Amino acid sequence: MAERVFITGMGMITAIGDNVAENLEQLRQQRSGLGYTSYIDTIYKQVLPVAEVKHPNDALAALAGITPREGYTRTTLLGLTAMREALRQAGITDVQTAPTGFINASTVGGMCDTEKVYFDIVDSSKEGAFLQYIDTLDCADCTQRIADTVGFSEHIATISTACSSSANALMFGARMIKQGFLPRAVCGGTEALTRFTLNGFNSLKNVDKQFCRPFDQQRTGLNLGEGAAYLVLESESFARANNSRILAEFTGYCNANEAFHPTSPSPEGDGAYESMKAALAMSGRTLKDVDYINVHGTATLNNDVSEGKALERLFGNDVPLFSSTKPFTGHTLAAAGAIEAIYAVLAIQQGLIFPNLNFTEKMEELNITPVTALMEGVSVNNVISNSFGFGGNNASLVISKYEG
Amino acid sequence: MAAISPQSTFEGDVFSAPLVHTDSNLLTCMEPDYKPFIPANSLRRMTRVLKIGLTTALQSIRDSGVEAIGPIVTGTGKGSLQDTEKFIREIEQYKETALNPTPFIQSTYNSVNGLIALQVKGTAYNNTFVHRGFSFENALLDSMMLLAEGAPNTLTGAFEEMTAEHFYIKSRIGFWKPAATDSRQLYEQLSPGSIAGEGATFFVLTGKPGPDTKAALTGFKMLYKPTAEKVAAGLSVFKDGVDLILTGRNGDSRYEHFYQQADALFPGIPQLPFKHLSGEHDTAGAFGMWLAAQLLHRQQVPAQWFPMLKDIPAAANRILLYNHFYGEQHTMMVLERV
Repeated sequence: MAERVFITGMGMITAIGDNVAENLEQLRQQRSGLGYTSYIDTIYKQVLPVAEVKHPNDALAALAGITPREGYTRTTLLGLTAMREALRQAGITDVQTAPTGFINASTVGGMCDTEKVYFDIVDSSKEGAFLQYIDTLDCADCTQRIADTVGFSEHIATISTACSSSANALMFGARMIKQGFLPRAVCGGTEALTRFTLNGFNSLKNVDKQFCRPFDQQRTGLNLGEGAAYLVLESESFARANNSRILAEFTGYCNANEAFHPTSPSPEGDGAYESMKAALAMSGRTLKDVDYINVHGTATLNNDVSEGKALERLFGNDVPLFSSTKPFTGHTLAAAGAIEAIYAVLAIQQGLIFPNLNFTEKMEELNITPVTALMEGVSVNNVISNSFGFGGNNASLVISKYEG
Repeated sequence: MAAISPQSTFEGDVFSAPLVHTDSNLLTCMEPDYKPFIPANSLRRMTRVLKIGLTTALQSIRDSGVEAIGPIVTGTGKGSLQDTEKFIREIEQYKETALNPTPFIQSTYNSVNGLIALQVKGTAYNNTFVHRGFSFENALLDSMMLLAEGAPNTLTGAFEEMTAEHFYIKSRIGFWKPAATDSRQLYEQLSPGSIAGEGATFFVLTGKPGPDTKAALTGFKMLYKPTAEKVAAGLSVFKDGVDLILTGRNGDSRYEHFYQQADALFPGIPQLPFKHLSGEHDTAGAFGMWLAAQLLHRQQVPAQWFPMLKDIPAAANRILLYNHFYGEQHTMMVLERV
């Protein structure tokens, strides 16, 4: 039988905190990270809210433990900051002590910095330090700079499936562990805000000018966010031999495609239904065992109808407590799956259900409503975390309390 | 399997096609007629890499004889450069207003996967790897894991395009040879840089051989920024019974020593290089695997494709493919005749 996979370390940085503890505190305080950008050069500065990490790149470099230098993009610095915490929390001082994979996720790589110098890069009359950003445009750049800084060399990969990217990174790492390729893998994603993605989603008319309102009748779209998150995954045998502190068990997952439309989900949530159902089946848990669902809940018109329908189809009249944490962090695209996987672990550890901020009015298409105020002292044993993306890419994860 | 490449590899008797060569330092794809594969109204919106990716995927399914496609897993280093460049430019040009979302959607790295899934109604697992010279190889690893987990088959491939703008950008950091180089003389012109290429390659993979099986993948290793010793140790693992070596050597003097190490480790075993056929790009390794499988399946070597060789190797039964992307991502594969 394949090995069980445990979560033994977590690290993150988002608009609501530079580490896991700060994120937890802001979630408890029900304090959103949404605001307006200080760092993107855009005409929408005061128009479209974003959840930006409140540090300039120099300060991020200090958090990431490096001296600021050319070629280290904001994507890399966010990732490195989260990576350092994840390794520290897992008690890993040297990743070379055991074969350790690094599975990263990114949607636009170092676009945050390359878009600022792109027209110099393509102008043959211009020379300068900006040339060091040429190779940062792709998604592998941040992965390799993080890997080289902390010393990963065993197996590295970068995944890009839009908004489900880091959920797929976690899945890929877990599968490599189960198949015996690796005893340990650090998986997650990193995403910096860019003018490119802000205009991309805005051109799709998917961005709300107000703070986003997931699962609300009046919702009009998402707010983008930035951040990074990594989870250390270990095989059961390695974790026991290594005496690792086990935070939770990664019991189920599914990646399924809708094959419905390039950017829109199906109205009945076929992909969401399939991925939740299959992930739960793999975890060996029943519908009744699910205590909380951290929904994808982007607050776009289509996502919330589709995901809500899928919840009603799967759970019938007993839809578990659910909420979207996107009003705290914004939609962090490639990082979202890993950020929300950490929130799932926190929900289990702390007995909390996080509120779905900005909700006031039930959607007419649905019979269900999200949790709107922080719930404490809840027994949370199994959490489903959803991440759905462009291209019909749907992913669901099941994270469970570690019970020996 | 199927390949769109700078050579005439997409249809017909590919091994009788003449060698396509250039002295522009950029080998461009020979694009087929897309109409038999993609509806005209979709075709109009699609950019080049989407067309070559989707068409190659569909052709490989036709070629495989497999009825129902399972998981779809791909690798691409750069995705749709044309759409990325277009959207960056339009943001600037139209001052962030009234933008057409199509280039943004198509610039998303998993857009080709989404299109394939839509067209073949592929609702199973779907993943896209975007890691330079490990993009296709991680897709291959993922596919092998899926087969081990019980998937009936996988559609596994890679796609890459080179635009004029990106060719210029990469020339600024030494990717290409500064002097015009005849692609047929790539291996004699040792100097910093290589020649650029592009292409799409797809395979249908199964866990067990069937009547249409072309070759078997029996060995696989990826090494990230390895030392020379690690490369040598890696290659040695696959030494037994290899009767042909396919190398990704590309005329780049900065990283030629890795290939010379393979020369030294396998004295007397014939070699074929393939970068004068595909050009260098993030997923050229997929073209190498296609060529290896063709050589094993057809049991012949197209002599006209290798004018630089004095002796054309005989048909092979076990091929070692060794490739690396600018010295960083090294991959080794063993392919065998079925």
